[in-house]
Amino acid sequence: MKIIKAIYNFIVGDMVILIGVALAVTVLALINNVGALAPLKGFSGPFLIIAVLASLVATLSREAFSS
Amino acid sequence: MQWVVATAAFLASAVEFVEAFTIVLVVGVTVNWRSALLGALAAAATLALLVATLGVALVQWVPIDALRLVIGVLLLLFGLKWLKNAIMRYAGLKARHDEEAIYEENRAQLRARGAVDASASRFDLFGFLLSYKSVLLEGLEVAFIVITFGLSAATSTVSRSEGITSAALGALLAGLLVILVGAFVRIPLAKVPENTLKFVVGIMLTTFGTFWTGEAFSVVWPLSDVFLLILAAIYLVAAFSLIVWLKRVKKQQRAQVIENQSAPTTVQRQEVNP
Repeated sequence: MKIIKAIYNFIVGDMVILIGVALAVTVLALINNVGALAPLKGFSGPFLIIAVLASLVATLSREAFSS
Repeated sequence: MQWVVATAAFLASAVEFVEAFTIVLVVGVTVNWRSALLGALAAAATLALLVATLGVALVQWVPIDALRLVIGVLLLLFGLKWLKNAIMRYAGLKARHDEEAIYEENRAQLRARGAVDASASRFDLFGFLLSYKSVLLEGLEVAFIVITFGLSAATSTVSRSEGITSAALGALLAGLLVILVGAFVRIPLAKVPENTLKFVVGIMLTTFGTFWTGEAFSVVWPLSDVFLLILAAIYLVAAFSLIVWLKRVKKQQRAQVIENQSAPTTVQRQEVNP
């Protein structure tokens, strides 16, 4: 458990960023691999940028309003 | 010597070398040069081993998309963490941790005690890994460029080895040029304030992370590698907007605290003088 926590703190140390990036990657993987979602492939790039920005806004909002 | 192949490999490799060198440079300036250079050397050794064992088959055996995804996601996580902390420092939500002053203080104390100052060259795992994976990924891309350009140049009159040698020479020249230019940029960069550097590193890591993660999912970025600059500009604008917004939020919170503190005083005064 200690090792996992150390790795988590070393790599990211922020649950909001981790969840945001993991969600973005999952959605991109689905768009890339599920046939029904193939028409959305063209939006993968903008989606990734928006997801990254949304993660940043979410984590900063949490810090600003929790204090 | 195939000049067309050498020039094409030079130009394509220069872009990759610039990307790798930028990250080594910022790791060197923000973490320390020992970790940055050790990471770059370890990546170069891994690359040499891969090229020596796999040779031309490297193009078929190394899953470049999987590698891009892993490195891209890691860079995104590192980058967002750095960017978040830098934005919070600029907005006043976090104390500006002036490491340079602390470092100078530690050095002065060590000197006073007559001890050897090892903090400047202390090995840092974060810096090492950041430098290692960036150089490995970009180095692999250079290897791919050399092999594909070299092989595509092979015709009935030009042998495969001649094509690859020409492409390799072009790439080598690009690498040397980027290192030379970087060596000159290193000194002025060291004078930039710590939080500014961390902010820029955060923007850059997030930019590269987004770019490589996108490429791993077959995203075709407009203008190819030039889109890195556009991405950096998007994140820069967003980061500045967030700083302005957070400063305003902090101001409002402070005003509310002052208002809450002054309210009971008014009530108390009214009780004394009805």
